[in-house]
Amino acid sequence: MKKSLKNIFTALVTIMSLTASAQEGEFRMTISWNAAVPIGDLKELTGNTTLRSTDVSVLYGINNKIAVGLWGSYADFYEKFPRAVYHSNDGSDVSAVLTNSVQLIPVMASVRYHFSPQARIQPYAAAGVGGNIVIYKQYIGEYPSSDSKLGFAARPELGVYIPFKKDGEAGLNFGVNYTYSPYNRFDLGSLNYIGIKLGIGFPMRD
Amino acid sequence: MKWKIISSSLLFAAMLATGCSKDPARQLENDENGVYITNRAPGAEFSQYNSFVLADSVVVLENNQLVEKVRTDFDARFINTVASQMESRGFVRVSHGAEADLGITVSRIYNDYTGIVNYNDYWGYYGGYWDPWYWGYPGYNYGYPGFYGVYTITDGAVTVDMIDLKNADANGQLRLIWNGLVRGSGTFNTSRAEAHATALFQQSPYISTP
Repeated sequence: MKKSLKNIFTALVTIMSLTASAQEGEFRMTISWNAAVPIGDLKELTGNTTLRSTDVSVLYGINNKIAVGLWGSYADFYEKFPRAVYHSNDGSDVSAVLTNSVQLIPVMASVRYHFSPQARIQPYAAAGVGGNIVIYKQYIGEYPSSDSKLGFAARPELGVYIPFKKDGEAGLNFGVNYTYSPYNRFDLGSLNYIGIKLGIGFPMRD
Repeated sequence: MKWKIISSSLLFAAMLATGCSKDPARQLENDENGVYITNRAPGAEFSQYNSFVLADSVVVLENNQLVEKVRTDFDARFINTVASQMESRGFVRVSHGAEADLGITVSRIYNDYTGIVNYNDYWGYYGGYWDPWYWGYPGYNYGYPGFYGVYTITDGAVTVDMIDLKNADANGQLRLIWNGLVRGSGTFNTSRAEAHATALFQQSPYISTP
């Protein structure tokens, strides 16, 4: 445990001490921890905001303002509903604790634009379009039924990047995004959510 | 090197993400596992019935075979609760052999589900867990004969069946008019027998007679 903490501390110090400047011509990774807020149909399934969400992007800087690459994330939504009796048209009634569990894993091609790449606080806009792995499980008591599909996802994001120190190239990343995730099953239209992310960005170089 | 860093980072992120999901089955409290299912035959009107006879033992079925008729503590509690629920709704319990409008039975059902699993992945990477060097044979491969594992899962349930005796002659059959089913972990927990039987009747308010 002590060794792990030491390794994490060493890694953070290393990241924070990076001082080279531009992102042009190099890969940068941003790893974030998210709060994901379900909206629309997803809120009907699981109304709880989740903190079990991560976000990783690896972008290549075309120039100081524009970077392109891959953007993936993971969000685990869960809600357990109190015991209730569910009536069906055939005359049967089922009393159970019902749990909905939804995992969304979009992996998208992404572009990110920095409005002021040299500023102390750097606002940016990003967008991603790609595939989305949807895993939807519903538990009647302890008995699950599941449905998984590969769908579409699109995500715009606005945020700010704040270097740990002036002209540093590693820093904090704060952003707010909206994930559009169509899902045309079980009378649902989409599984959209709003993400609020806090992470760190750093260059990937040997 | 750069791509190695990228791929390992993504792998790390994926492992982190998948390890963070909440397992719904582990979030259930003891009394939340139970699932109670009741079925009412179309057109069944309970107000026409006044009396019932209730079998005082339980039929035990395993894989659709009758094993025995018994009355354990669990069975007794369950049967007594069914009786009290019926009586609280206006029905009169009569002894076996007396004329009754409804016949009620309780059964315990156990079904085994058998499957086969193989451990090809485990054996395929055995050299990664125990390098042949450990045995003093570096460079050797392991020979895997293709073992399989067989597993059996037993699924259990309690059912309550209500039969229309009053109209047996008119119907030309002993018609099942109501069924209650209890499933889930803890189904056969003796301390929960009353709660199970009560739950079946609570969600069937139409079972009553003036």
